[in-house]
Amino acid sequence: MKHYELAIKFYKERGRRHNENLWKIRLKRDAAIKEVPEWEELREQASAIKERVIDNLDRYIQEFIQNATKLGIEVVFAKDAKAHNDIIYNYLKKIDAKKVVKSKSMLTEECGLNEFLYERGIEVIDTDLGERIVQLRGEKPSHIVLPAIHTTKEEVAEVLGESNSDPTYLTQVMRKRLRREFLSADAGISGANFLVAERGYAVVCTNEGNADLGALLPPLHIISVGIEKLVPTMRDLGIFLRMLARNATGQKITSFTTLFGKKANGKRVIVLVDNGRSERAKSTFRDTLKCIRCSACLTTCPVFRRSGGHSYRYVIPGPIGSLLAPLVDKEEYSDLPFACTLCSSCDDVCPVKIPLHHQLRTMRHFVTKPTFEQKMIKKVFESPLLFPFLLKNAKRVPKALFKVLAKEWTKYKALPELR
Amino acid sequence: MCYNSGMKVALFVPCYVRTLAPHIIDTSIQVLHYFGIDVHVCNYQQCCGQPLINSGIETNLAHSLVQECSLYEYIVIPSSSCTTNIKNQTDAKNIYELSQFLYEVLGLRGICKKCPQKLALHISCHALRELGLSSASELAIEEYNKIEELLGCKLDKPNRDECCGFGGVYSLKEGFLSYVMGRDKLDDLLSLVPRAIVGVDMSCLVHLESIAKKDGDSVEFKHISQIILECLGETL
Repeated sequence: MKHYELAIKFYKERGRRHNENLWKIRLKRDAAIKEVPEWEELREQASAIKERVIDNLDRYIQEFIQNATKLGIEVVFAKDAKAHNDIIYNYLKKIDAKKVVKSKSMLTEECGLNEFLYERGIEVIDTDLGERIVQLRGEKPSHIVLPAIHTTKEEVAEVLGESNSDPTYLTQVMRKRLRREFLSADAGISGANFLVAERGYAVVCTNEGNADLGALLPPLHIISVGIEKLVPTMRDLGIFLRMLARNATGQKITSFTTLFGKKANGKRVIVLVDNGRSERAKSTFRDTLKCIRCSACLTTCPVFRRSGGHSYRYVIPGPIGSLLAPLVDKEEYSDLPFACTLCSSCDDVCPVKIPLHHQLRTMRHFVTKPTFEQKMIKKVFESPLLFPFLLKNAKRVPKALFKVLAKEWTKYKALPELR
Repeated sequence: MCYNSGMKVALFVPCYVRTLAPHIIDTSIQVLHYFGIDVHVCNYQQCCGQPLINSGIETNLAHSLVQECSLYEYIVIPSSSCTTNIKNQTDAKNIYELSQFLYEVLGLRGICKKCPQKLALHISCHALRELGLSSASELAIEEYNKIEELLGCKLDKPNRDECCGFGGVYSLKEGFLSYVMGRDKLDDLLSLVPRAIVGVDMSCLVHLESIAKKDGDSVEFKHISQIILECLGETL
C-alpha cells in the first residue's frame, strides 16, 4: 500500500488523537526555543558547522579516528549496511554473545541489524521504552524520538500482559523487566548523536539512561554511527546540545547526555558507517546530511500528524524521510515527496536549516519520469494559444468531465463554480 | 492623499483566478489604480508553471513570464503561491504579491478609513513562510503581521497557523487528508464566528469554500483586494 491508502486507514483509526498529541509537542517545542533569544542565530551557526563537516568529511573522519583511538576506542569503518552488520556480528561472535541490549539507533534500523542478528541466533532487546513497545508489538518505530506515539496506553498494557493501564505503573513494569535484560546481556549496542572530531568522543543523548546502562553493564559496547554525525569541536557540540532536546520535545536538554571515551570495564567499538553518505555529499541532496534527527520536521508536518509514521513505510518518516527514502529506492518510495503540501513549516523548524520543502520539490522531479499524458498536459500549459482558450471556455466543459478529472477533489469537496 | 503616480506595473493573473475568481482581476486593478499605479495585464502567458513544477515536470513558463513582463518595473500578482513559484524558478527580484507590493514597495500603512469587523484572516503558507507577510509561530522572532499593518486594523486569527491542506497538486493526490486538513482549518476559522474569511490566495480559499459548501457551512470568502476596496470606502 502507498502513502495515500495508509494515510486514510491511519487517520480513521488514530489520526485525530495523534494530531493533537503531536501538536502539543510542537507547542512545547515553540515555548522552549523562544526562551533562547539567539535561537535563529544558533540555527545559522549549526547549519554552517554541518556545512563545514560535509565539505571536509575525510579530514574530520581521520581526525576523529585518530583521537578516538588515542582514547582507547576501537574504530572500524563500514562502507555499507552489509559491512556494518558483518562487523557487528563478528564482534559478537568472538565473545559468543547470545543476547544484546540495544538503545535507540536509527542507523541500525537503516541497516536492518535486528533482523540480521536474529537470523544468526542473537537476541536483540530494544531498551528505549517506546522502541521496546513497538518491538513487542512487532512493529517499527513510527517517529524518530517518539517511536510509539501512535499507540495508546491500553495497547501498551495489552502487549505487556497487564490489566492496569496507568502510564507510571506500566513504565515501572517495563523498567523492572528491562533491568533483568541489562544485567544478563552479553553486549550493548547504541547509536550516537554526535562524534567530536577534536576529542574522539561519541556523544549519546537519552531521556531514560538506557544507553548508559547498555554501555556500562555488559563487557562489550558497540556504537553504530553515521559519518555525518561528526562535529569538529567541543564548542560546536555545545551549540547542538542546546538545540537538540529543545527542538525535539521542548526539554532544555535530555536527561542523560554522555560523552563516551574509553570503556573502563571492557571494550568499546565504534562502527563508522558510510552507506551512501559520501556519495550523497556530492549530490543535489547533500543538505540532508546536516540532519541531526531531532524529528521536529515530523512533529510540525500537517500531513505526518494526520497520516502517522508508518504510512511512509521507511525507517525515517515525515519530511526528512520523504527525502531519504527515494534515495534508497526510487521506485518504491516515489509517492513520498508528493505526500506533502509544500507548506514549508519543516524548513522553519529545522535546526540546521535544511531547505526541506525545496528539496522535496526537487525530489518530485528526481522520482518523476513524465508519462505520455503528462507530456501532453505540459504542451497544453505551455501553449500561448491553447491554454488561454481552454481557460476562457472552461465553464462550457460539462461538470461530469471535471468530476472524472478531479475525482480526488470531488470525492470530498464540492466542485468549485467556474466563471 | 497624494500617491506615487506615473508608476506602471505588470499584473499577472493566475490561471485559477481567471477561471474560478475572475472578479479578483477587477478588484486588484482598482486597488492599484486607487494608489496611483497604472496597470498592464499580462495576457499572453496565463500560467506560471507551478502545477507542472510541483508535479515533477520541468517547464520554463516562469522564465518566459518574467521576460514578457520585463518592460515593467514590477510584476504584481494577486496570489502568494504564484509569486513564490516565480521567485523560486527565476532570479527575478521585482515580483510581489498584491498586498506585499502595497506594504513593501509603496510603503503603505493604515490605509483603511473604517476597519472591517469580524473578518477572519487565513494566511496561506506561501504568504506566511515564503513571503514573510506575517510571523510564523514556529520561528523565534518577534510577532508581526504586515496585512494588519497595511490595513491598520486588527483581524481575527485562528489558533493554528498550519496549512489548510490545499497544496495544489496535493489536493488532487491525497484528497482525503486534504479534506481533513481543510476541515480542521475551517473549524478553527469558524470558531471566530466571522462574517467572512479573508486571504491573499484564492486557491486556498476556493479549497475551503468547496469544503464549506459540501458540509453545509455558510460563510463568505473574500480576497484581500475586496477587503481593501471595502475599507477604502470604494464601491465595486
